[in-house]
Amino acid sequence: MSPPLNFVALGFGAEIIYSFVIIVCSLMIYFGTREVYELSSYKGIKYFRQAFLFFAIAYFFRSFIKFVLSYFNIREILDFAPMLIGELSLFLFIYFSSMAMFYLLYSVMWKKWNGNSKKIYLFHLLALVISIVSVLLRNSYVYLILNLLLLIFIIFSFYIVHKDSKKKKNNLYATYVLLFIFWVLNVIDILLPDFLQNTQLFIYLISSGIFLAILYKTLKKAGSD
Amino acid sequence: MTKRAKLEIVKDMLLTIKDESNSIKSTPLLRKSNLSSMRFKGYLSELIEKSFVKEGTNKKGEKIISLTDRGFKFLEKYKTIIDFIEEFEL
Repeated sequence: MSPPLNFVALGFGAEIIYSFVIIVCSLMIYFGTREVYELSSYKGIKYFRQAFLFFAIAYFFRSFIKFVLSYFNIREILDFAPMLIGELSLFLFIYFSSMAMFYLLYSVMWKKWNGNSKKIYLFHLLALVISIVSVLLRNSYVYLILNLLLLIFIIFSFYIVHKDSKKKKNNLYATYVLLFIFWVLNVIDILLPDFLQNTQLFIYLISSGIFLAILYKTLKKAGSD
Repeated sequence: MTKRAKLEIVKDMLLTIKDESNSIKSTPLLRKSNLSSMRFKGYLSELIEKSFVKEGTNKKGEKIISLTDRGFKFLEKYKTIIDFIEEFEL
């Protein structure tokens, strides 16, 4: 029987370092934009910050929680119910990472959706459904189709915003699209460990690079010290 | 009206107060803000609530409005906020 989560392909250490990089980058973005948000109370900035807070929580549940349990020698919990911990971490990772992507989408779409904040509850519901379906079914085809549809929807929404944007030369659009693609790859990597086994290190490096690039751009633009 | 426009209005009101040696009565502020009386009241309440401005009295005992440190901070950071919103298309 395969392990509940992908601990093994590159070793637990690589996964922990990768998660740590994503968590640190996400939290730095969240706290680095606090001042611009607190001064402006601008909804777009609020949702943008929420996206990275949710990324940090998602990656905490992806693997960092296992590191904490192991480091503080709380092995009994893992030994007692390894499947339960695995399934629960997976569920929380998919839920929070899906919500992170939805918040990112919402941060650029909220004006087009007339600031209707009720849509965010729909996204919570959708993220919940995706998490439940992913954990319960564990069917690679269902999962791939689900994520592909989601990816197309998100990229299309971003395209609409980008098309109407005054700023035609915007590298951020490409960065967001890459971020969405690697989000899907990350979730596939954790849900179907054998599917991307040979490219895991590549995914880790590129994903870290994207987060570091967004962190750099965010802190530079937010004027954080 | 978008929030972006709202941010501009807030900036213009704060800048007006700053340009008047950080002390202005509400009537000239209303005139210079180019807002209806109703909207002006709403904005002024919001600025007070967010601690961007404070109400006080001058030496003649007249009610005046002046910027707080937070109000000055907003003006200092306004361009950064707008650049950030535009850069990430928020």
